[in-house]
Amino acid sequence: MEDVKKLEELEVERFSAFERVIHWLVAVSFLYLFLSGLGIYSPKFSWLLTVLGGKEFSSWLHPIAGIVYFVGVILMFLKWAKDFVLSAEDIAWLKGVKHYIMGKEEKLPEAGKYNAGQKLFGWIVFLGSAVFLISGIVMWFPESFSLGLVRLAIILHEIAFIVVGAGFIVHVYMGTIGVPGSLSGMITGKVSALWAMAHHPKWFKQIIGGK
Amino acid sequence: MSFTTTEGTVGMGLKRVSASKPPAEVKIYDKLAILVDVSSCIGCKACEAACAQWHDLKPPLLSEEQAPVGYQSYPDLMPSIFMMMKFNEAETEKGITWFITKYQCMHCGDPGCLKACPSPGAIIQYQNGIVDFDHSKCIGCKYCLSGCPFNIPRYDANNKPWKCNFCVDRVSAGLEPACVKTCPTNCLHFGTKEEMLYKAQKIVAQLKQRGFENASIYDPPGVGGTGYIYVLPHGDKPEMYGLPKEASISPLVSLWKGPLKLIGSIVLWGSLLGAFLQLILFGPIKVGKKEKKEE
Repeated sequence: MEDVKKLEELEVERFSAFERVIHWLVAVSFLYLFLSGLGIYSPKFSWLLTVLGGKEFSSWLHPIAGIVYFVGVILMFLKWAKDFVLSAEDIAWLKGVKHYIMGKEEKLPEAGKYNAGQKLFGWIVFLGSAVFLISGIVMWFPESFSLGLVRLAIILHEIAFIVVGAGFIVHVYMGTIGVPGSLSGMITGKVSALWAMAHHPKWFKQIIGGK
Repeated sequence: MSFTTTEGTVGMGLKRVSASKPPAEVKIYDKLAILVDVSSCIGCKACEAACAQWHDLKPPLLSEEQAPVGYQSYPDLMPSIFMMMKFNEAETEKGITWFITKYQCMHCGDPGCLKACPSPGAIIQYQNGIVDFDHSKCIGCKYCLSGCPFNIPRYDANNKPWKCNFCVDRVSAGLEPACVKTCPTNCLHFGTKEEMLYKAQKIVAQLKQRGFENASIYDPPGVGGTGYIYVLPHGDKPEMYGLPKEASISPLVSLWKGPLKLIGSIVLWGSLLGAFLQLILFGPIKVGKKEKKEE
């Protein structure tokens, strides 16, 4: 009982100031892109463009926000790509993901600083953003490319939107109510030791060992 | 699906697609068409001038390098050029033949631009078949370029698209379009689509008698027929006139506006639903459950 309380009060650093800044740079620009993109994607969501500053304005800002977003994603890639390399254990984790969903994390291989799901989302964002950028530039200047290429770019942009968008919904859910205690890692940069021990035991052992 | 009418900006019925049944009394508007009888066109380009004059267009003066060689006034359509005559020369069984076409928006029955447009009301199709742009509702996304099978809309520096609007202002006031009004050889005819098709058939029959066996009407069914129909003396070679042989909306556009959109809705709403189900079925993934149970 005492130990658990102690662990709950003890905080460990999870994300540096730089990591938090790039995360929120990408998060805010992506949220704008997601909502304005929905408005440009479907007439049913056209009203979102009005909410985001006017239809012409928000569709004008969309590609510019995309540049900001992409700069953030490049920084993320440089910072995190090496940590997101999937190991054999991660594959086993992904295969048994149903245990995680059902709240029986202990049945899965112990996660390091990032579990396999987080790593996978990282790669979805990296690859998806590359598709967004290339197809987005073609869509931004359609007169400079062949019509066939522009039509293909629209399809690719849409597929990337569906995949990254679904990942984004799951990510936001898990970062807030899905896995309580996670959000502080991205706000103050610190998480409780108990949280770290339960969700990222391998990483927790590393920091304990390092102390 | 049914069509109902409301008064449009220029007092004409907008074609609206609605899931509900149409009201009992709906005014039916005839489909309009312009018939271009290429066989009687002399390539005088008076229609170009009339178009620019009526729409108050000021096409740029092209430099010597940009100016096209030959009979064409311009190399291509521009935001300030809604229509132009295309000239093409080729060898046929009748010797050297001049292929002349009036090149502008075709006013498709099933417009690709309208299909691609994500901004409600920015592209309007009237019940009489005229397809028009409303710049006040356009968001400048340029999707209409991808939707158009004829490569027509041209964006200006303000990010707004321009094209032939069938002189919607003249037509709604009971006048014929400017190009038709000015045509000196009666190559251009204006009326209901039914009348124009009837006239076109008669011209085609005459051409066949004169030895143009391949003469035909150009009214591509792939785009639901068009508001501009052509009598082509060499109907077997529409591409020589700069008209696509099988005009239709690109399957990529149909994929993007059809199945892919459905998949997108299912996946995105599905992930929201999935997150919610996880929450209510299994609850948040909390820490310290084990430890607390052990006590």
